[in-house]
Amino acid sequence: MESVKLTIDGQEISTAKGKTVIEAAAEAGIAIPHYCYHPKLSIAGNCRMCLVEIEKMPRLQIACNTQASEGMAVQTRSSKVLEARRAVMEFLLINHPLDCPICDQAGECKLQDYYMEHDLKASRFEERKEHERKREIFGPYVVFDGERCIKCTRCVRFLQEVTHTGELAVVNRGDHSTIALFANETVDNPLSGNIVDICPVGALTDRDFRFKVRAWYLKNTPSVCPGCSTGCNITIGSYQNRIARFKPRINEEVNSHWICDEGRYCFHPLTEVERLTSPLVRQEGGLAPTDWETALQAALSGLSAATPLAGVLSGRNTNEEAFLFARLVKKLSSQAAIEAVYYERKLTEVEEILKSPDRSPNFRGAREMGVSSNGGFGPLLEQLAGGKFRAAYIVGEDLLSLVPDGEKIKNALEKLSFLVVQDTRLTPTARLAHVVLPATNFAEKEGTYTNRKGRVQKLNAALVPPAGALQDWEIFARLQSKAGEKIFFQSPAEIFQAIAREVARYQGLSYAAIGDQGVQLSDET
Amino acid sequence: MEKVLLRNIDVPDSHTLAVYKSRGGYRALEQVLRGMSPEKLIEEVKASGLRGRGGAGFPTGMKWGFVPKDSPKPKYVICNADESEPGTFKDRLLIEKDPHATIEGTILAAYAIQSHTAFIYIRGELVFGSKVLQGAIDEAAQAGYLGKNILGSGYDLELILHRGAGAYICGEETGLLSSLEGGRGWPKVKPPFPATHGLFGCPTVVNNVETLATLPWIIDQGAARYAAIGTEKSKGTKLFSVSGHIRKPGVYEVEMGYPFKRFLEEDCGGVPNGRKLKGVIPGGSSMPVLRADELEAVRMDYESMQAAGSFLGSGGVIVMDDSTCMVQAAWNVARFYAHESCGQCTPCREGCHWMEKIFRRIESGEGEKGDLDLVLNISGNITGNTICPFGDAAAWPAAAFIKKYRAEFEAHITQKRCVVI
Repeated sequence: MESVKLTIDGQEISTAKGKTVIEAAAEAGIAIPHYCYHPKLSIAGNCRMCLVEIEKMPRLQIACNTQASEGMAVQTRSSKVLEARRAVMEFLLINHPLDCPICDQAGECKLQDYYMEHDLKASRFEERKEHERKREIFGPYVVFDGERCIKCTRCVRFLQEVTHTGELAVVNRGDHSTIALFANETVDNPLSGNIVDICPVGALTDRDFRFKVRAWYLKNTPSVCPGCSTGCNITIGSYQNRIARFKPRINEEVNSHWICDEGRYCFHPLTEVERLTSPLVRQEGGLAPTDWETALQAALSGLSAATPLAGVLSGRNTNEEAFLFARLVKKLSSQAAIEAVYYERKLTEVEEILKSPDRSPNFRGAREMGVSSNGGFGPLLEQLAGGKFRAAYIVGEDLLSLVPDGEKIKNALEKLSFLVVQDTRLTPTARLAHVVLPATNFAEKEGTYTNRKGRVQKLNAALVPPAGALQDWEIFARLQSKAGEKIFFQSPAEIFQAIAREVARYQGLSYAAIGDQGVQLSDET
Repeated sequence: MEKVLLRNIDVPDSHTLAVYKSRGGYRALEQVLRGMSPEKLIEEVKASGLRGRGGAGFPTGMKWGFVPKDSPKPKYVICNADESEPGTFKDRLLIEKDPHATIEGTILAAYAIQSHTAFIYIRGELVFGSKVLQGAIDEAAQAGYLGKNILGSGYDLELILHRGAGAYICGEETGLLSSLEGGRGWPKVKPPFPATHGLFGCPTVVNNVETLATLPWIIDQGAARYAAIGTEKSKGTKLFSVSGHIRKPGVYEVEMGYPFKRFLEEDCGGVPNGRKLKGVIPGGSSMPVLRADELEAVRMDYESMQAAGSFLGSGGVIVMDDSTCMVQAAWNVARFYAHESCGQCTPCREGCHWMEKIFRRIESGEGEKGDLDLVLNISGNITGNTICPFGDAAAWPAAAFIKKYRAEFEAHITQKRCVVI
C-alpha cells in the first residue's frame, strides 16, 4: 500500500495514502477531539471540534475531512487550535442544559470530557436558552432529549447508512434544528440501541438502562454476547452483582462497533431469575435440598444405571464445559447420545447485518468439543420424545419451554427412569428431575465460545455466582472424578490447555493468547 | 459606457424570443455551435477576464476548467438564480426582463463543459420571474435552441427550471446542490468540490445569473472587447442594486473601477431630504459596512473594495443616512442571519443566534459592559471555522458595525437609549 509521511505535533508519522488526518493521528496515539466523526459513518464535518492547523493553509481545517498528504505539517495543540476548540465547546454549551447531575450520560459524556480539557470557564452566555422537546420516546429502547442534542447527526447517519431504515432526520433551522422521527415512524429496528452508544452526549439514552446506575459505579467486564452465534464482543456493565447493561466492544472481525437489541437485552431473562442455591434430590413429596456430595452421588448412580442416556447441553455452555460434558456422558454410558441445543429462525434483512439465526452462541464450539453424536439436536429431541432413552442429563436449557410441543417432551421426560437437570433456576424441566444441580450463567463464568465463523473468544466473569451454585465445569469434573476418571483441572484455563492438546482444530492455541479480540481457528478465513 | 447586461431591458417585450433575436440574441450560440470547440470557448471566457458575479468573484473560465473532461459521469451546469442576499435584486431584473440572455449563457456554459442537462435553480419567491423564465425556456426549446441536436450541431441540452422552497442558504452553491438533489438545503463539506463531485456526485458548474447573462455578449463581441472594459483585474461591467436612503434606487450597470462616491452622488442622486450619508454596505448585507468617510477613494471593483475593508459581493448597495441607528441596523442584519443559519455546523448554528440576542438586548437598552467585545469575539470564533461561507457572512457585518460605529453602541449600553433617533 502506498504511504505518505507527515508530521503531527512535530511527530513524524507514516500512514496509508487516503487516510484522513484524524485517522493518521489516532494511529499515532494522538487523540483529536471530535463529536460528529465516527469511523464507521460518513463524514459530516459539522461539529467543528476537530479543527487543526495545517502549515500553508490560512484557515483551520477539520481533521476528519482532510486527507493526510506527503510533507503535511499538522498542529493539533497550537494556541489557534485550542482557542477554536474552546470556542466550539462554548458554542455547544450555550443552549445545552447545565444539569449534569440529573443527566444519565454524566460520567461518559463527551461534552463533559472536552469541557474539562478545553474550556473550563464559566459561561459567557447570559441570554435565554432555547428550549426543546424533552423525554420524547423514539423507540422501544431509545428516548430523546432535544436540549442535550448537539446535532452531530451520528444517529441519523447510522440509521441511513448502517441499518438503512432511516427513521430519523434533522428538522427546522438554525438553533431550532433538532432531530425528529419521520411521521408514523419509530426507531424500532433490530439494531436501534446502537444510536444510544454512538450519541456522544445525553441526547439519546437507553430506556432500559437510564437512571439505574451512574456510569462511574459500573464494573466493566469484557466478554462475549450470549444471544446468538455471531459472538458480538461486549462489555458487561454490572453493579452490585447485577448486570446493568451490555455495551458493544469493538471487534472489526466480528461486530465492528455494534450489537443488536436482542443481544443487548438478553441478559434480563438469563440472569434475572430466582436462583437455585442448593442441589435438590427427588424424595417422597418432591424435590428436597441436599448437599453437593449427596446430590452428585445420586446423579452419578442414577445416570449410570439407566441406559441409553441422552445428554443435552445448552448452546450457552463454554467450550471448556462442553469438553468435559462430552467426556463425562460418554464415560457414563457407552450408548449415550449427546447434542447441544440448536434452533434456527428466520431473520429479517436488518437482523442479518449482525444476527445469526440461532440462539446458541457456542453450538459450533460444543460440537467441536464432541457434544455431537446423533445427527443434530432435532433428531435427538425426536428420539427423546419417542421414548428411546431411559435417562437424560439436561444442562442449562428448559426443554419444556424451548420447543413448541413441550407437552410431548414433558410426557417423555416423566417416563424416564432417571433425569438430571443442571440449571440456574428451577425450570419446568427441572421440576421433573430426580436430581437438580444449581449451576452458573454466562456472566458468572469464564471460558471460551467459538462463534459461527470459527472465532474462539473469551468470556470473563462479571458476576459472582450465588453461594450453593457450582460452575458447570466443576460439576462435570466432580462427577467425572467420582466415576473414576483422574481429573486435575483447577480452572477453565487448564481445561482449554487440554482442548488445545486433544481437539485437532484447536491445536496450538493458548488461553492467554485469545486476548480480548479472540483468535480465528486456523483453517477458517 | 456601452451596456452589456442591461442592453435589452428597456425595449418593449424584451423577454420574448423575437425581441431578443432582433437585438442579436442567440447569435453567440449559433457562432459557437457552428464550429467553436468547447476548449476554445473556455479559452475565450478566460481571456475575457469574467469573474463570478454571485459574490465570490472567482474567474469563470477557470471554474469551468476544473471540470474533468474524461469523467464517465454526466456533467451538470446550474444557473444559480436563488438571489436572496438582502439588498440584492439584480438577477431578478435580468430574469424578468431579459430571460433569454440567461438561457443563452447557460447553454454556452453547458456546451463548454459538455453537459447535457442544465438547471436553473430559481428562488421560490420569484414567482413572476419563474413564469417569465419558463415561458422563455419553452420558446427557446420550440425554436431549437434547447433539446436534441441544437441548431443541427448534434449537441443536446435539456434545461430544467427548478423553484427553491425558500431558504437563503440554498443560494450557497453546495446548499443549492443538496436542495436540488431533494435533500435539506445543507451546504456540503468540501473537499470534494462541485467541479468534480457536485450534483448527485457528478462534475458540476454553478454560475450566477449575471455571470451567465454576460456570456452571449462576450462571445458575440469578442473577449478582447469585454476585457477592455473595467480595470486590470476586474474586467467588464457589473450590476449594482441600490437601495436605502438614496434618491434613485434601482439596478445600475457600472463599469468596473467606477468611483463609488461619484456613483452614489451623481448616478444615484445622493442621499435625499438634506440628510448626510452615514454608511454604505457595498455588496449585500453580508459584507462589512463602510463609513461615509471611508468612501473617498473607493472604486467599484473587487480590489478597491477589498482594500477599503469590504467586498464587492453581490453588488447590493445599501445606503444609510444619518437618521439610521446602527445598533438597529446591526440587529436587523444579525436577525436575518440567525433566522437563515441552516443549523448544520456548530459555530454558525449557535453563534449567529447568540450575536442576535446580544444585539437585541443592546438595542432595547439592556446592554451590558463587555457585550461589544463579546460579540467581536463570537464573530471571530465563527469566521473561517464553518462548513460554508455563511458563517463569515453573518460574522463580518456584526463585527464591522461595532468596529465602525462603536460609540453609538456604547451609548446604547451606557445611556440605555439611542443617540441617533
